[in-house]
Amino acid sequence: MSAVPIVERRRPVANVYLGPVAFRVDVRCLALIAGGLAVLAVLAAWTMTLGSFPIPLTEVVKSTVGAGKPEHEFIVRELRLPRVLCAVLVGALLATAGAVFQGVVRNPLVSPDIIGIDAGASLVAVWWIVTGRDTTFLPVVAFGGAAAAAMGIYLVTWRGGVAPGRLILVGIGVNALLGAATTFLMTRYPIERVSNAMLWTTGSVYATSWADVRVLAGTLGVLLPLTVSLMWPLRVLQFGDDTAKGMGMRVEVVRLGLLLSGCGLAAVAVSIAGPVGFVAFVVPHIARMLAGPMTGGVLVLTAVAGGILLLAADTVGQHFLPVALPVGVVTAALGAPYFLFLLYRVNARL
Amino acid sequence: MNSEHGGRLRTGELTLAYGSQPVVTDLSLGLPDGQVTTIIGANACGKSTLLRALARLMKPSNGAVYFDGQAIHRLPAKEVARRLGLLAQQSNAPEGVTVEDLVRRGRYPHQSFLQPPSRDDHEAVERALELTGMQPLRHRPVDELSGGQRQRAWIAMALAQDTPVLLLDEPTTYLDIAHQHEVLSLVRRLNREEGRTVVMVLHDINEAAAVSDRIVALRDGAVLADGAPDEVLRPELLERVFGVECDVVAHPRDSRPVSIPRSRLARRGSRTPEVEPRGELRAHGLRLGYGKREVVPGLSTEIPAGEVTVIVGANACGKSTVLRALGRLVEPRAGQAMLDGRDVHRYRHREFARRVGVLPQSPVPPPDLLVEDLVAAGRYPHQRWYRQWSRADARAVERALAATGTEDLRGRPVAQLSGGQRQRAFLAMTLAREAPVLLLDEPTTFLDIAHQVEVLDLVREANRERGVTVLMVLHDLALACRYADRLIAMKDGAVVAAGTPAEVMTPELVQAVFGVEACVVENGQSGAPLVLPVYGHRDDGGRQAVLAGRAAVEARTPRTRAHTEVT
Repeated sequence: MSAVPIVERRRPVANVYLGPVAFRVDVRCLALIAGGLAVLAVLAAWTMTLGSFPIPLTEVVKSTVGAGKPEHEFIVRELRLPRVLCAVLVGALLATAGAVFQGVVRNPLVSPDIIGIDAGASLVAVWWIVTGRDTTFLPVVAFGGAAAAAMGIYLVTWRGGVAPGRLILVGIGVNALLGAATTFLMTRYPIERVSNAMLWTTGSVYATSWADVRVLAGTLGVLLPLTVSLMWPLRVLQFGDDTAKGMGMRVEVVRLGLLLSGCGLAAVAVSIAGPVGFVAFVVPHIARMLAGPMTGGVLVLTAVAGGILLLAADTVGQHFLPVALPVGVVTAALGAPYFLFLLYRVNARL
Repeated sequence: MNSEHGGRLRTGELTLAYGSQPVVTDLSLGLPDGQVTTIIGANACGKSTLLRALARLMKPSNGAVYFDGQAIHRLPAKEVARRLGLLAQQSNAPEGVTVEDLVRRGRYPHQSFLQPPSRDDHEAVERALELTGMQPLRHRPVDELSGGQRQRAWIAMALAQDTPVLLLDEPTTYLDIAHQHEVLSLVRRLNREEGRTVVMVLHDINEAAAVSDRIVALRDGAVLADGAPDEVLRPELLERVFGVECDVVAHPRDSRPVSIPRSRLARRGSRTPEVEPRGELRAHGLRLGYGKREVVPGLSTEIPAGEVTVIVGANACGKSTVLRALGRLVEPRAGQAMLDGRDVHRYRHREFARRVGVLPQSPVPPPDLLVEDLVAAGRYPHQRWYRQWSRADARAVERALAATGTEDLRGRPVAQLSGGQRQRAFLAMTLAREAPVLLLDEPTTFLDIAHQVEVLDLVREANRERGVTVLMVLHDLALACRYADRLIAMKDGAVVAAGTPAEVMTPELVQAVFGVEACVVENGQSGAPLVLPVYGHRDDGGRQAVLAGRAAVEARTPRTRAHTEVT
């Protein structure tokens, strides 16, 4: 009776019961995650063979596990591996943050780099750098900036509810304002400090160290399980506040938890790699196209896909262009056309 | 006005399709001039699509719509707009636009760039405002008007277009009986006094019968019947159109046909006796409001356990707000909402959710969600993040799917379902919670008669077989009377009457609550009272004094014109 073509989709779901613990596991999503991890490993190994001093793949693998030649081991373990790991972890953090924000706001056009969350982190971080403070606290400070920006946007948008359209408009406004403030800071401080900040704001994983990897991995280790468990209530929150409240959910608590963890993910990534654009925005869409609506499993897939995308972009920017470009430039070049395509698609459906 | 038979507007071998899916095939239909023609049919039968094509909003994939013998999709848009005025199903006025401004925009097809508004323009606007009674409201922003006023403003805009033909797509959706009455009386008057040809789509058959000269019944994009209301409103025909058994009775005042869809269930006495009723709700001095606006100034009422209680009332009388307060979605400013003698806000979140299932008005599913996952989401209050699924959950979901007949739809995305299917899926989600109390806010909005009966039958089945307490808000009085054990009539945030439908539903009450003159007769099958509004076509807009009382009481036993027994 319906005029719309009927699309049947059944996903193989396995129910796992372990005493009081029980989960539904989407088998296809699990397979995709495994495949993604394999791709990631191959891509990472191959990337480490490239550079001004080429190293064969077998040597790269040996050096990684600590069984290579000393000169190779130094290059792989001290120079290339941290950069690769940073790229993967930054991609994973940003993509997860994007999925969280898109889910909370129920709008596919929202991501922390578009609505000014990254800009909040950047402003505070640039101020921290140009005033010459200790950069070990940069992640914490950046988180403060991101959270402040998120709260500001939320409060300005809130009128008995958050209308996604208004949130995007407010967010773009805040983004522009914070960007202007960042530029202002850069014109006010000595050039040698500013040039540091400048490189940072283009978004780059150049010259990252094991210390950075530890911060990123720690953040992901804490926040990814948290957000994966929050995907469970988010699934219900997406029906709207009324339905969610009617289901006995403390909507404000869940939403605050999601927003704070989203801010944390974005801010830590930004504090190390700078505001790398479009990863947060694009990757959740790709993951959803592959695996269906956002669930805990799809969120993990999003993280893996984010890692792949950023690592690939960094590889391209570093080795396959006439001039080595920071990864942020490459992701923007990829992301902008996708953004336009998505807008076109959304319009076509209306 | 031109009144030759056959009419200036007609379709010839019209085929309409979305993509490769044909919605209407080979339709040849003449629309008589100077008459009100109404297109009826089940959800998704192609009636709105046909109207869109008549208005040149859709290009036919074959055949054409002709006006005065010319195919309209080959004519310039403005020229068509000078002949055909359209009121689309849902229109959004830009923020802050006043009524006068909106109506003036209707003159667009008569104007050209840089040409100042002419005297004709001015006169047409004034006339449209006058006809719709919108002069006193002309400087008010459209988005601040009530539903009925807003719809009248949009009709005024279509009128200012000054076209011989008016096309109206569901002009009464979202409106309560009073506003429906207001809009349809206006349509009737425009036709009778101005001689305008009106073609409209309505989902309420009885409204269609009340105001139309001619009814066209569509099914699967083809004409099933075409004729005067009493030719089309026959039980066997309605069953073919909507797939639901109907009784047809004559209106006691003007003997026009009135159809009543039959319920699968007998009304009373079928409750399984061993089921113990659960969950009693009580409102005690409830004061509710939003921002500065107070909606309910202090309301006390009781929703007895194990019964179906329905709240009726005009738009914006606070009925949904009361339901939301009882479902703990609104915090009262004073007073208490109580479940089984305990304040609803004193329950723990999940505990309350396990006891009370709330289905809010027109819920929106997230994109790509499958029916099965939607229904499974209803188990949320029984779950924990570390125990996301149990065998009890699986069983409850299966039961809910089976009860709502949505098993075959489980693998389909919710967004692709028809209105009736979608509403059933949401109901399944609410039922899957297996709560002893169900609160449903307008569960029949957007549904055609067959689906309305289907959904409400389901609700009553839950009540009769499992002793579930049900509280619903309905704007359709006929359905409210038929499915309620107890009716609560509200006006301006206060309870005007409460009791069995027969006690509550009197012509005086309908007049007092809705401001509409109506007859109340007894429905043959169920014995429930049936409210039949009287559509006057006088200059006062159809609002006549209360005369109906006596007449209606005398007419308590209706003539049943036809009766089909199908098992």
